[in-house]
Amino acid sequence: MSSSFPYPDFSNVVVLDNGGGLIKAGLGGERNPSTVLPNCLLRPISSKKWITPPPATTTPNSDPLDLTSAAVRRPLDRGYLINPDLQRDIWAHLFTTLLRVTPSHSSLLLTEPLFTLPSIQRATDEIVFEDFNFKSLYVADSPSLAHLYEASRSGPTGRLVSKAQCSLVVDCGFSFTHAAPVFQNFTLNYAVKRIDLGGKALTNYLKELVSYRSVNVMDETFLIDDVKENLCFVSLDVPRDLHIARKTGRDNLYRCTYVLPDGVTHTKGFVKDPEQAKRYLSVTHGDTPSQLEANKKEMDQIEVTERSENRKREVDFSKNEFDLTNERFLVPEMLFRPADLGMNQAGLAECIVRAVNACHPHLHPVLYESIILTGGCTLFPRFAERLERELRPLVADDYQVNITTQEDPILGVWRGGSLLASSPDFEAMCVTKAEYEELGSARCRRRFFH
Amino acid sequence: MFQIWRFNAMDDDNSNPFRRMSSRTRKVAPRMAAALASSDNRTHAALARLEALENDNAGIEQIEINEDSDASLDDDDQGYMQKRQSKGTKRKTRQAKALENARKAPRTFLELLNEASLESLPPHVPSYLKAAVGPPSSTSRRHFCTVCGYAASYTCVKCGMRFCSGRCQNIHNDTRCLKFVA
Repeated sequence: MSSSFPYPDFSNVVVLDNGGGLIKAGLGGERNPSTVLPNCLLRPISSKKWITPPPATTTPNSDPLDLTSAAVRRPLDRGYLINPDLQRDIWAHLFTTLLRVTPSHSSLLLTEPLFTLPSIQRATDEIVFEDFNFKSLYVADSPSLAHLYEASRSGPTGRLVSKAQCSLVVDCGFSFTHAAPVFQNFTLNYAVKRIDLGGKALTNYLKELVSYRSVNVMDETFLIDDVKENLCFVSLDVPRDLHIARKTGRDNLYRCTYVLPDGVTHTKGFVKDPEQAKRYLSVTHGDTPSQLEANKKEMDQIEVTERSENRKREVDFSKNEFDLTNERFLVPEMLFRPADLGMNQAGLAECIVRAVNACHPHLHPVLYESIILTGGCTLFPRFAERLERELRPLVADDYQVNITTQEDPILGVWRGGSLLASSPDFEAMCVTKAEYEELGSARCRRRFFH
Repeated sequence: MFQIWRFNAMDDDNSNPFRRMSSRTRKVAPRMAAALASSDNRTHAALARLEALENDNAGIEQIEINEDSDASLDDDDQGYMQKRQSKGTKRKTRQAKALENARKAPRTFLELLNEASLESLPPHVPSYLKAAVGPPSSTSRRHFCTVCGYAASYTCVKCGMRFCSGRCQNIHNDTRCLKFVA
């Protein structure tokens, strides 16, 4: 990879998207990060030691770690670094055994959340320069990197992202959700708006619901993460979907069974019947009840068997499985209406409108025209569709609303970082170790304009 | 926790002046009375529930975690750490140890945020606090049954949580009714 790199002098740029949930790390210039691993230490119930989790990319061949009731420690809280010692340990593991780089010969491109407190920035700089001895450091914020990646991707086709050099990045990640206007690769930080809800809160919410209604899973973070990723979707019409979810037996297109791991034959939970889980797709917007009936009949013809089993509403505790119905769409629903949860915060659509309104009026039309969705939470099916449906009534009629989804929203920011790291100007933008030693953290940070 | 369960009506604090009241003085536990006098308790409970959404299951033995705070990954290193620590703790008083643990324990983000005193920044400087999206423009809130998740039309008179039917009310009362939020 380094041979294809045009700047041999600077070939070792480690690009590190240090998320609250997942670390995405690799070398600059590549398309995909070489390692994606959870940013935490784990302690399975079988062990007394805290271990680093296996990278998410190598699950099939390595022996599956039994994560049942594993305790978790995360270095980041609400998206910000609170435990530098823990982070140092995880990074040490990452650099030495996973990436196999020598920090003293490499530069680091690190993502940091917007509005990081100065004390946290200082702690980060200390880890980077004093513990790992990186040659130089560049700190980027994720919206600008997501914008950079999208702008480069849509180059020749003449998309507006590249024409206007400006976009609105909606980063809906693990710890929180940001709506950030980006103008010529700079995030307009005075206009950024944040909702304090992300994937972690949604997982915990689902955990609470399942624990209260069927099986106690309060300790099963990873299991419920899997449930959320596989079964949750965004509703396009909540009252209608609640109505459907209430039906019994076959009519209920949303009921779905998830099988818990038994620790013997399988250590991971799974969706009992993937066909059943996909039945929600047959409900499209504007379906009248009569159309639903027709749909239902079709579905009935496809699967006539095993219907007596579904009649029973009660959860069978001996079988180690639980049913989900309305939880499947009420959990992601919280991103759109945090008020329903009791949070005094506006929903995602309103968040976007406020972020745009905080910008110069000339930017409003172009921002609405290039909304980029990034972050793991945007992977919920129908997320973009619902967002557009909520946003359209809030935006003036003569503005276009155009929402771009990334093909891999978890890696989008990293790819932007990889592009930036391979740009010819990258070296000049970095802070070197010598500069850090001479000027200190605070003055070096001024170079990054945030 | 709450020794006196004799209390049976909670409508005296918000009653109208024309309402007939018995002259008998009610016996209410002081803590209970305080809990009922302030309307904040429900808010507190709701906030605590929101706060819980950011929790990790960090294991039960919190103290042990603090002690091997380095969480080093290889065996001998950890052994060394323990040895060193047990040697050091001999001379330390319990108080000093607790102090040291408190200093070493990672602080939560909210503590760091308070320390940074962002309120003192001039108003034009964007900061973490100013980036919060703020309250929704419409105050309407959909209510879902806390038991089954469907649209809830009733509110629990004791704790303010929502339920949708008599069946769910019974479950609610039996399981998570926070009558004595304190």
